[in-house]
Amino acid sequence: MTTLAPPPRGSSRREYVDPDYLGDFVEYDEPVRRARKPSRIQPPRMFTPGDPSKRIRWWQLISLALLAVVAIRVIDLQIIQGPTLAAAAQREAMTTKDLPAQRGVISDRNGVPLAVTVDAVNVTADQTLVIPTKNPTEAQKTAARHLAAQGLASVLGGDPRGYEQRLTGSRRFVYIEKAVTPATWQKLAALNIPGIYSEPAKKRIYPAGSVAANVIGFVRADGQGAGGLEYGLDHELAGTPGTSVFQRGWHGQAIPTTTSTGTAPIPGTNVTLTIDRDVQWVAQKAIAERVKFARADSGTVVVMNPKTGQIYALATVPTFDPNKPAEAVQADIGNRALSQVFEPGSTSKIMTMAAVIEERKATPLTHLVIPPVLVRPGKIFHDHDKHGTERLTLNGVLAKSSNIGTIMAAELIGGQTLYTYLKKFGIGSPTGLQFPGESRGHIPDPAHWSNTSFGTIAFGQGLSLNAVQAASIFATIANDGVRVSPTLIAGSTSSDGQYHVAGAPTSSRVVSVATARTVSAMLESVVSDEGTAPMAAIAGYRVAGKTGTADRANPDPNPKAARYKGYTSSFIGFAPADKPSIVVAVILDNPRNGHYGGVLAGPVFKSVMTYSLEHFRVPPTGAPRPHLPVTW
Amino acid sequence: MTIAYPTTLAKRKSTSYLQRLDWVLVGGALALSIIGALLVYSATRSKQADAGLDPSSYLKKHILNLAVGLVLGIVISRFDYRLLRAYTPILYGISIVGLVLVLVPHLGHTINGAKAWFLLPGGFSFQPSEFAKIAIILGMSMILSEKRDAESEPRDIDVIYALGVAGVPIALIMLEPDLGTVLVITCAVLAIVAVSGAPARWLIGLIVAGVLVSFLVFKLGILSPYQVDRFTAFTDPTANTHGIGFNTTQARIAIGSGGIFGQGLFHGAQTQGHFVPENQTDFVYSVAGEELGFVGAVAIVVLLAVILWRAIYIAVRASDLFGRLVATGVATWFAFQAFENIGMNLGITPVTGVPLPFVSYGGSSMFANWLAIGLLINVHMRAKE
Repeated sequence: MTTLAPPPRGSSRREYVDPDYLGDFVEYDEPVRRARKPSRIQPPRMFTPGDPSKRIRWWQLISLALLAVVAIRVIDLQIIQGPTLAAAAQREAMTTKDLPAQRGVISDRNGVPLAVTVDAVNVTADQTLVIPTKNPTEAQKTAARHLAAQGLASVLGGDPRGYEQRLTGSRRFVYIEKAVTPATWQKLAALNIPGIYSEPAKKRIYPAGSVAANVIGFVRADGQGAGGLEYGLDHELAGTPGTSVFQRGWHGQAIPTTTSTGTAPIPGTNVTLTIDRDVQWVAQKAIAERVKFARADSGTVVVMNPKTGQIYALATVPTFDPNKPAEAVQADIGNRALSQVFEPGSTSKIMTMAAVIEERKATPLTHLVIPPVLVRPGKIFHDHDKHGTERLTLNGVLAKSSNIGTIMAAELIGGQTLYTYLKKFGIGSPTGLQFPGESRGHIPDPAHWSNTSFGTIAFGQGLSLNAVQAASIFATIANDGVRVSPTLIAGSTSSDGQYHVAGAPTSSRVVSVATARTVSAMLESVVSDEGTAPMAAIAGYRVAGKTGTADRANPDPNPKAARYKGYTSSFIGFAPADKPSIVVAVILDNPRNGHYGGVLAGPVFKSVMTYSLEHFRVPPTGAPRPHLPVTW
Repeated sequence: MTIAYPTTLAKRKSTSYLQRLDWVLVGGALALSIIGALLVYSATRSKQADAGLDPSSYLKKHILNLAVGLVLGIVISRFDYRLLRAYTPILYGISIVGLVLVLVPHLGHTINGAKAWFLLPGGFSFQPSEFAKIAIILGMSMILSEKRDAESEPRDIDVIYALGVAGVPIALIMLEPDLGTVLVITCAVLAIVAVSGAPARWLIGLIVAGVLVSFLVFKLGILSPYQVDRFTAFTDPTANTHGIGFNTTQARIAIGSGGIFGQGLFHGAQTQGHFVPENQTDFVYSVAGEELGFVGAVAIVVLLAVILWRAIYIAVRASDLFGRLVATGVATWFAFQAFENIGMNLGITPVTGVPLPFVSYGGSSMFANWLAIGLLINVHMRAKE
């Protein structure tokens, strides 16, 4: 039984062949159909067309030929065409994919992270694989999608019907939810919903929420900076993406058992801000409460160091949550401290005073007689409060915020000189922060001044500036007359771990030390009981500051509309007055519940300044406050 | 006419079942089944894992199918096939009922355009046309070996009966439509008629009729669009690179990139990247070509050749015409189905959707293949020394 071939032809077994056995090439002498014995079967004819055994041989040959054809084709494909086809496979499967670089961290001056990028997961789906059964009916499809949608909603939240809609169709790749946390994905993956996949993603999160949101900005869904410093410093933060060259499967997935090459991504630069998260939070909270109380359109607080120009806080309300930029109101995502300009009003008077004193045309003690109204060509100027003829010192003019007195003082130096000083204080010039969306404000050239321009500009109307510029004026006085350009960036850490301190800010002398200190002493009178803002005083500290209750430029573009509508109430000051460490500027736009800067902005100044002094451990100087006379 | 061999049978009673097994045949079929299990696993593991399913579920089911197939093969080999002959009409009848029921709406299930499956619980399915192959082979062999008057060649009426026995299931399978299976069965029918010793005019007539019918069917648009697509893909694989031509192009790229020793099991980029659709069933040979290379691809062909050689040898040595015709039918079925399947992987035959015997995933196919091996062993055990 182990014989592998039919018995050889003509073998000795021939005579024992059972005639029933039809398979041998047996020769018989007798013709096939002659003898017919009932008990025996006639042996087959030899090599006739109907010979079954011969046909088996033919059949054997045919199957051998078929196998030979197959073998030849295998040789052709694998040996001859092999390299070409392998190259085609490589071409087809090799793909280059960008590896996103880790975006740099934005942290506050103490390293507290304000914007970080974390690993996340995009939930994706293959609409065709959500239905696990093969060749399903419509009812099965709907049931499978319904079940999958219920599972998605149970982990991701939201409306199952929305998910069901996204699962319907024949697309092999759709996004179900972007940037969920890895923990959420693990919960989802545990449900084993067919057709639901994940792809690694990065998510920008802002741990402090809306604190400093208007400084930091936000990123788009694709991770690109879209507002604030995220936008302004996008190039530094983004880093350089790497590439991965790998073999990719039919659905685009990396084939796990193949190798890949490529370049590693270079992470973005970490940026350290001059912002102090705690001060920022206090400032935001204080101004938010005040805006609500005053029913103002918005409010802004700037806290800065007058010596270094470093900004500790840039608060503005209403604000937004950069974790959910899509939900933000467009007007709330910019930074009003830089993008919104306003006519400063009385806070601007300190520049006029500084100029007059620097030009030695007057001293704080210079006597002025203030008429009830001041008649000038084309315009009659009034003060805020009606009064009879007053006898005020120059110090008193500032303390009482007399427009008439300020114009009279400014007339001592003239328009051109005043303009020169205003420019030196930074009016109409960029802050140097290079913040996206910054507006530099405006002061008209004296050549274009109208009859009334000189008078209004002297007391702060007819020119515009932003809150940082306003704070910078007071910082210049606080810094003994030297203007240090404001800065938001303390330094940066590049991908190699090296920390680079930000370049030194530019500084320029605006007025002399003596003038600055004189103006500073005058500003202390403002916070005194004789001045306009006693509510800004802080027990134990010497505080210098100035109120502003400016007419607010009417945003109505209609040329027939009134030029001014509502007020801009502000208080800007610094402490300690004799050794200034911190400047705080508070601006309320269009308050409807009261409008005096001292009343509305003064308390915000007081709370933010009090907190800042404690936070930065600024001790009271202990020296007595100078008592400059207000009247004579 | 009945053929009985009391003397030879008595002689063999002394030797055990295992000793009388054709171990070369069984070994070849087992080796192919095991290679098949590995290839099916390789083709499905990452697909399954990506879908969040058990990566080894196809492997497990393939091995279960193989085990069931082995049991069926052993059972069928233990009955004397000459007794089996008596049950042939019953088997044939059941098979026809299955082929009719699968065409009934809501009972039969359509995969890749052919309404050829019953769905069973547990992810299993049942394809009656696989078992129809066996029924046709047994039925035709029975009729053609029942020669009256001890004539060496069957009478015309016998051939007509036999063709009728084959024609009914072929027509039913045509209705599914499963053209690949029809082609395989037709080849087997031709071989059985030829080996039965039928006059040559029948052979020539059948071949001419087959060519004519194929031509007419193709030209008259009786084929469904998907079948035409498959043929078009065969003649011009680049015509539709994302339709059916995509399959053959991807299969050829996969096989071509295998080289001599292959990219290694589980390491074929085309296979693991799911570029070749249906590569656990119709295109399983592409997995062998890519991951096991020329060596593996040829090994499968050689193992199939071993099975064919043994099948033909058993046909030659069969103790009666019935056994010989059964063995011939099985050999032809295996040979043409393997040729059709490997051919479509290699891009030299149309894509007809027949599985590669023993290697492709699929329960019905695996059961039928091992039933056929059981029949061959049966004939072999009762062959003359």
